[in-house]
Amino acid sequence: MAFDKMELRDIEVWDGNFAAAQAMRQAQIDVVAAYPITPSTPIVEGYAKFLADGYVEGEFVMVESEHAAMSGCIGAAAAGGRVATATSSQGFALMVETLYQSSGMRLPIVLNVVNRALAAPLNVNGDHSDMYLGRDSGWIQLDAYSPQEAYDLNFIAFKVSEDHDVRLPCMVHQDGFMTSHTAQGVKTFTDDVAYGFVGEYKPMNDMLDLDHPVTHGVQTEEDWHFEHKARQHNDLMTKVMPKIQEVFDAFEELSGRKYNIVEKYDMDDADVAVVCMGTSVETAREVAKEMRADGIKAGVVGIRVLRPYPFAEIIEALKDIKAIAALDRSSPNGAPGMLFNELAGALFNTDSKAALSGYVYGLGGRDLTKAHLVDLYKELQANADAGKVLTPLQQFIGVRGPKLAYL
Amino acid sequence: MENNGWNEFEIGAMLRSFDGAATNIATTHTEDRNYSNSNSFTASVADWRIEKPLFNKDYCIDCQFCWIYCPDMSIISRDKKMIGVDMDHCKGCGICVEVCPTNPKSLLMYAEQQDEDVALAEWPEKETKEK
Amino acid sequence: MSEIKKIKNLKEFSTSADRFEGANLLCPGCAHSIIVREVLNATNDDMILSAATGCLEVCTAVYPYTSWDASWIHIGFENGSTAVAGAEAMHKALKNKGRLKQDRDPKFVSFAGDGASYDIGFQWISGCFERGHDMMHVVLDNEVYANTGGQRSSSTPIGSSATTSPAGRISYGEKQNKKDMLAIMAAHGSPYVAQVAPNKWKNMIKAIQHGFEVEGPVFINAMSACTTEWKFAPEDTIAISDLATDSLVFPLYEIINGEKLNITYRPKNVVPVEEYLAAQGRFKHLFKDQYKYLIKEWQERVDQKWDYLQRREEASV
Repeated sequence: MAFDKMELRDIEVWDGNFAAAQAMRQAQIDVVAAYPITPSTPIVEGYAKFLADGYVEGEFVMVESEHAAMSGCIGAAAAGGRVATATSSQGFALMVETLYQSSGMRLPIVLNVVNRALAAPLNVNGDHSDMYLGRDSGWIQLDAYSPQEAYDLNFIAFKVSEDHDVRLPCMVHQDGFMTSHTAQGVKTFTDDVAYGFVGEYKPMNDMLDLDHPVTHGVQTEEDWHFEHKARQHNDLMTKVMPKIQEVFDAFEELSGRKYNIVEKYDMDDADVAVVCMGTSVETAREVAKEMRADGIKAGVVGIRVLRPYPFAEIIEALKDIKAIAALDRSSPNGAPGMLFNELAGALFNTDSKAALSGYVYGLGGRDLTKAHLVDLYKELQANADAGKVLTPLQQFIGVRGPKLAYL
Repeated sequence: MENNGWNEFEIGAMLRSFDGAATNIATTHTEDRNYSNSNSFTASVADWRIEKPLFNKDYCIDCQFCWIYCPDMSIISRDKKMIGVDMDHCKGCGICVEVCPTNPKSLLMYAEQQDEDVALAEWPEKETKEK
Repeated sequence: MSEIKKIKNLKEFSTSADRFEGANLLCPGCAHSIIVREVLNATNDDMILSAATGCLEVCTAVYPYTSWDASWIHIGFENGSTAVAGAEAMHKALKNKGRLKQDRDPKFVSFAGDGASYDIGFQWISGCFERGHDMMHVVLDNEVYANTGGQRSSSTPIGSSATTSPAGRISYGEKQNKKDMLAIMAAHGSPYVAQVAPNKWKNMIKAIQHGFEVEGPVFINAMSACTTEWKFAPEDTIAISDLATDSLVFPLYEIINGEKLNITYRPKNVVPVEEYLAAQGRFKHLFKDQYKYLIKEWQERVDQKWDYLQRREEASV
């Protein structure tokens, strides 16, 4: 069986879903086991069409649920080959059991997560609830803010995940609809260049090496379980970030596009900063520039690598900032937001005297407007001037009804 | 395997059945296999037994019922002959004795401490059916 | 297609070299192991195996030991079938791309208990069969969640006392009849569906070999007499299994391509169902006066099913 290469223009107009599907095609995946769910469905559909048109040489297993999708990916990855899939929201939630299993078994699988809210109430639009749900699952989590980044980060994900020192599955996140269904210009690679970057899959502990039988997915109880979990955590803490940096560097050399573990925009002389993820980063960047015209030295920090958590890079990025806002696009349901907590955790033992406040926004695809961010930066400047947080530590932005604020 | 620390084993809690390449395992008997020390073959469940089966080859007709029905791969058969019981892996369930069709049986259960020579010397006589 | 292993008789079969190892942690007298041995020894081909969470899994891959001499994977309770399906897809992909390390075609087999097949893993098996993976799913059917201490599954037969459907002062235990999984799997259009029992080894080997020979998803329901939960002495596993097959409580038959049923074992002397029930603790309460009517109903059900199977066989459907 053979497959055809696809001629691409240097710049194509793609939405995030199609960009991810194209990257999956160019990575020459051996097995995709998938199940459709809004808004990630077009990734799966796109890949199916590539297959139907002879642009892919691999197995496409259209399973009966997301749980089965990841189960099939685990079986295929353990057998020994390149594996990827895509999902969102409820499908991601159904997958959760298998997310822990795939990472614990140290199987490199790339999962495109098109972020969407979690029911109830049911909602198909983008927020970060599913991304947050995955944060303790032992996966690497990369966040794309645009179709270009969704394309690029897929290649980076394969290269990091499949490295023999890493061997951990990797999610590539993008915002549902805002990125996944918004067409933008995407600079492309030729098929050969793209595959050349990702490289051939190098099997490890593969079940299909029939002369070296292996057992995957053992039972460990109190005498072994802790050591295995510790090993996985250790590798996430010590091996993944250097590898990501190495791959980012190689990618920059190839494409000229530079990625950072923590993205900093207008941060060099900033007094106040917004820390956020996804498409909000681009909105915040625009507003930050405008705030500078009003004399507020505003900056933006985007989290590119959510897991492993960029503890040192966060401290470095925020060390001179006077007031910080953590923007969480997921209902914390009875706690401060995750980003608020994790920024606080990073800065607590440092010399930072920053006033840290948290904002919950954008649930279920509610827009984060520039006006919201203008108000927010003004609150941050007031905090910076006062040297303390003048507002409640947790505020909701853009929700109807009486103002919601806690802590 | 000793209780290694967190940095002393293969990632993913993966285990190998053999050391090195193992081709044609389906036709290679235990004595010719290069088991890894994580293969349970290298372990023993002998201490599970309260009673043990003893084998008297004088009465055995090599029917292999004991071989096929042993749940613990503990009936050692080579070249179509039953040659003994693997006492490291036998759990003492007693199925082999139950399915043994000879008269007297060529496998019988004894207390774990039973001396084999004594048992063989005192092996029961052929039972005559009561009419 | 590789050569079928020649197994004329038990002596010849006994020259097999097991790929399942001792010092696993299964109970003494466990039929799971006998079933696994018969499946694995039915071929000399390479194998890629999976087990669903359950007795077989927790007893054969407890770190740092494995009892498997072929590649094996466990993911969870419900998805053992899909684990093997994923591996089978990878084999196909790498074969097409010429990237197999050894250009051989292994057999793909998933083992799962009745709970993992009839209940929690049902959807995953249905998906695998509908998609037509070249694999075999073997149910180790002990009619109960044995690994967790004897809770009822949808394979638990009516009148059985399970911990979540216990017999008591006013209850005879399990109220539902056993789910007819074979009919369901045959309805998937599976090329081969068979009910087997390890005590009838020759019958079982024939079914397994047939299953290996056909292409596509094969469903094997293997009766696994459970000394612990059925409550009989460990040495009686084969005797109890014989009572099950010879009383026709557990009839042995096959369904080819979803449309042709053959009875594969006819006992010379059919044993009354009562004898089968009387030999096991799980049915002990049925022998109280108030529940004895259930034994009669059991016999009637078994007779009816046998009659149905015979009629289907005669009609060649």
